[in-house]
Amino acid sequence: MPIEIPKDKWPGSIRKVTLGATAAEGGTRAKTVTVGGQATMPYLHFEAPTPNQPVVAIEIKSRKPEDWSPLLAEVWGEAMADPAKWAKAAEAAGADLIVLALTLADTPDDAVKAVKSVLGATGLPVIVWGPGQAEKDNELLVPVAEAAKGEKLVLGLCEDKNYRTIVATAMANGHLIQCRTPMDVNLAKQLNILITDMGLPADRILMDPTTGALGYGIEYGYSVMERLRLAALQGDSMTQMPLIVTPGFEAWKAKESKVGEGVPAAWGNWKERAVHWETLTAAALMESGADILILRHPESVKRIKAAISELVTA
Amino acid sequence: MYIIGENIHIIAEKVKEALTNRDREFFMDLAVKQVEAGAKAVDINLGPRKKDFAEVWPWIIETIETVVDVPLSIDTTNVEGMEAALKSIKKAQPILNSTSAEPERLEKVPALAKKYGAKVIALTLKPEGIPIEADARVTIAVETLIPRMMEIDFPMKDLIIDPLVLTVSGCQQYCPHLIETVRTLQYAWDPAPMISVGLSNVSNAVPNENRPLINRVYLAMLMGVGLQMMIANPFDKEQNDVIRWIETKDTGTPLAKAYNKIAERIAASEEPQPEDFNMADPEQAAVWKTTQILLNKVIYADGYLNQ
Repeated sequence: MPIEIPKDKWPGSIRKVTLGATAAEGGTRAKTVTVGGQATMPYLHFEAPTPNQPVVAIEIKSRKPEDWSPLLAEVWGEAMADPAKWAKAAEAAGADLIVLALTLADTPDDAVKAVKSVLGATGLPVIVWGPGQAEKDNELLVPVAEAAKGEKLVLGLCEDKNYRTIVATAMANGHLIQCRTPMDVNLAKQLNILITDMGLPADRILMDPTTGALGYGIEYGYSVMERLRLAALQGDSMTQMPLIVTPGFEAWKAKESKVGEGVPAAWGNWKERAVHWETLTAAALMESGADILILRHPESVKRIKAAISELVTA
Repeated sequence: MYIIGENIHIIAEKVKEALTNRDREFFMDLAVKQVEAGAKAVDINLGPRKKDFAEVWPWIIETIETVVDVPLSIDTTNVEGMEAALKSIKKAQPILNSTSAEPERLEKVPALAKKYGAKVIALTLKPEGIPIEADARVTIAVETLIPRMMEIDFPMKDLIIDPLVLTVSGCQQYCPHLIETVRTLQYAWDPAPMISVGLSNVSNAVPNENRPLINRVYLAMLMGVGLQMMIANPFDKEQNDVIRWIETKDTGTPLAKAYNKIAERIAASEEPQPEDFNMADPEQAAVWKTTQILLNKVIYADGYLNQ
């Protein structure tokens, strides 16, 4: 007996957002990356195709990070001391995008130099994060935005306490922004309203709802993502931004990935466990609708990219 | 609409100050003005008053009963304070605000109300919290609150059930459930228990400029399912307009018509539709947007009206 699978038809869809600009578009990227466009919940291919598959970004830093896991230092090696080399290595490891995180030690000149060297070393679109302190973020991101005018960078992180300067410079210089709210649907939507009220077109916003790592609140993170995605499909235009998430950052904070000694033997091989932690965190977020997954370890990148291609062809 | 005036509340700085100074004039004036504005009862919330309840309650009751004859609602969690207040009442049948379905409160408060012949407000709240679903809240009323009242032979006409309004800013999914709870509770017992809500809770944590609109639209929805009693601010003129429009089916202005339509739709278990509103009129468009957040159709954000 044939069974008819019920299909949902949604009135809304996710906005398509394009990162990066080629020479023809006023930038220098070898290619652009487009995310969004979904008209149904993730991977329900019998309802609607996935027009743009999720993409993987690799996070690098403008200076060699001292607090990263030795497992990451081991795999990236000397490239970690030079953002241009690191970006190249990340591209070779399969990244679709590069996230360049600036640090508190950077001067505006250092920041511009680091961004330019990364843009020179890779043809991938680039996301640039300030070090995460409001004043310093503004001090570094404004000259970066001006120096890379037209590249369609993503500037972050915009938060409710500090978004005006970053949004203004993104508008003036043709960039996009990543806006982050602390795991709360109401606040996520409100920040999108405030930012579009300033005049930034909605298709230049990526929404970062914040997540936790596997075992550290990931269920709160993906519940918020699911709720935002459902609202978007129901037609709420201020929740229709593609979702960008940071499973690498979160997973490498977890004890299970960070600590190799003094843990129960049953936890098994440290490196295996750490990569599993990052991969499983990312996979759960991908299945709840993430469009951009920011990772740190090349092995996790490989596994997540394999999972993506299986999911979109399934 | 039976409004229990909410304005004598310790959370207001002026009330706090007047209480510290034992300012009789202030409380008499605020009670009289609420009654003049249409309040049928006056709520008194002075906090737990753990130390001075034996002095404060008789003082405030005597002060307020000097100038008004309406029932006073004794709004405290302190059971000793409740009794001190009940002993002092000389005029109308008071209201004890409140008990919940938590065992300790349910043990003491209804018995106290019975002893002094007071009405009692009972919250559909259990030790494990407030359930989201309408059915679960009705179940608390039917399986816990009402049986307790019957057990002590409490007159059912004096039971008021409060199914607990929660804020659209953070508990948005509860808002439509509360409407259904109010609808269903009226069939929970024969005769139907009285139902009262704390209306302005729906806009807790909402920026002040948006609160009255959210309160009014929610009120229209709740009147649609038969709400006849609430703790609210009797001075809110626009809220009082909405009450009058719906109670008298006054559709003389486009806005009155829109609010009546909301009540009708909800009464018929339908959702308000865009065609019920003239979207060219910013006031009606704002009312429409508010219906959508209250029914959890559109995610609430502080700037939802600007979307």
